[in-house]
Amino acid sequence: MTDALLALREVAKSFGDTVALSPTTLEIAEGSFVAIVGPSGCGKSTLFNVIAGLLAPDAGDVLLAERDVTGTTGHVGYMLQKDLLVPWRTVEDNITMAKRLTGRVTNEDRAEARRMARAYGLGEFLRHYPSALSGGMRQRVAFMRTLMTHQRLLLLDEPFGALDAQTRLEMQQWLLQVWRDAERTVLFITHDVDESIFLADRVIVMSPRPGRVVADFPNPLARPRTVDMLTEPDFIALKGRIMHLLHGGAA
Amino acid sequence: MKTARRRLGLVARNVGVPILSLVLVLVIWQLIVVGFHVASYVAPRPRAAIDSVTQNWSVLWPLVLGTIRETVYGFVVGATLGFVLGVIMAKVSFLQGLVYPVLVLSQAIPIIALAAPLVLILGFSTAPKVVIVAWIVFFPVTVNVLDGLSHVDRDLVNLAKVYGASRWRTFWQIEIPATSTPLFSGLKIGATYAVTGAIIGELAASDGSSLALYQEHANSNLNTAAVYGTTMVMTAIGISWFLLVVGVEVFATPWRRRTVARRWPWRRGRDLTDH
Repeated sequence: MTDALLALREVAKSFGDTVALSPTTLEIAEGSFVAIVGPSGCGKSTLFNVIAGLLAPDAGDVLLAERDVTGTTGHVGYMLQKDLLVPWRTVEDNITMAKRLTGRVTNEDRAEARRMARAYGLGEFLRHYPSALSGGMRQRVAFMRTLMTHQRLLLLDEPFGALDAQTRLEMQQWLLQVWRDAERTVLFITHDVDESIFLADRVIVMSPRPGRVVADFPNPLARPRTVDMLTEPDFIALKGRIMHLLHGGAA
Repeated sequence: MKTARRRLGLVARNVGVPILSLVLVLVIWQLIVVGFHVASYVAPRPRAAIDSVTQNWSVLWPLVLGTIRETVYGFVVGATLGFVLGVIMAKVSFLQGLVYPVLVLSQAIPIIALAAPLVLILGFSTAPKVVIVAWIVFFPVTVNVLDGLSHVDRDLVNLAKVYGASRWRTFWQIEIPATSTPLFSGLKIGATYAVTGAIIGELAASDGSSLALYQEHANSNLNTAAVYGTTMVMTAIGISWFLLVVGVEVFATPWRRRTVARRWPWRRGRDLTDH
């Protein structure tokens, strides 16, 4: 219990008569990579917004490192499918955005941003505006900006959902590499079952009407993950169980 | 030097083409006056109009300065007021409903009808002209700022919130830069009307010397060349002011045209750390 970075206790949220999230209890271990899969309307984005503090839950508590952060902001890194890079700032200034919004960007912050950009293949683009970048590069910048929040917990909401299949696979491998270096805890929303298994230590399956957690699978695949694993029996078996939950016996 | 040649091409297109179209207007004017044998008291040849300006420049220049002063003061006051009003209305929805009809009403008042009470209140000084210019300029700025602020990406604002940004920081770092395009649209519309406002003000609220009265005087003396010449001067002031605003826009929003940020000499030290 003490190694849980994030703990949700009976967190619930409704919008009018619609139960977006029925009482949910969840623990996320420090340093782990946890994926949440589910169809739209299953409450995964509501769950994220409650954890991030954008939404106050109707009931329950959100604990981060045993501190109650329910309904408050400023304690997680957060990234969406839309990269949300600001067009009027350079790549470097986008990466340091969090500090600019909450404090002062120091020379150390800039140096760190540059180091990170160089390490992850964007060193030549530091002084470029985002409009000059491809979709995959923009998502990389967005992820570096998320890392530069220096938060221990990163919430990634379908970050690669808008990318083509090839770029997406590259980005997944890239993300695993960065995650290993950065030693953060990641909560990753996706509707792509393959993606959830390829990336995560643990796959949580959610279901709509009412939004709730229906299963929580440990992932047997070893690390580091390779593309070959996408066709391993363990992978296929877990995929089968998740697909069954998502699409019912009829599928 | 491919970039140098490209830059030269850009300059040729951005400066050369407008000059060409200006020359074209003068040529057509000349052709009409000569071709249809238009009497010189109805319309002068371009050359005569230009001469009337250059020959009387020492008289015109102080008047031109006066008009420029009214235009600039009025524009600055109007743009500032318009911006502040737009922000307040965007942030306080209750005020938006209350103030918007009044703003529309203010623009429905014929400017000429506004001049008489303004003279009663402010006299025949620069003040009534400044008020008239500001009156015209603030409206497009307010409407565009209001529109821009209410269309800032909610997800971006939420992202700033999740990061723990204050409303003040979010406003200056996210919402204002995100509104730059509509803001400058409003400013450009305002800039085109500003000189018109100043001239109307001079017509309706001048006791002595002003560009508008100079033109009226020329008109009553059947000095048609001077009438046209003065119009050209007024137009030149308007175009210059508009171009200045466009220049500020180009300078202030480099990301719209450039892929790489400018390098400022005084920031070089910063850029080179940790290389």
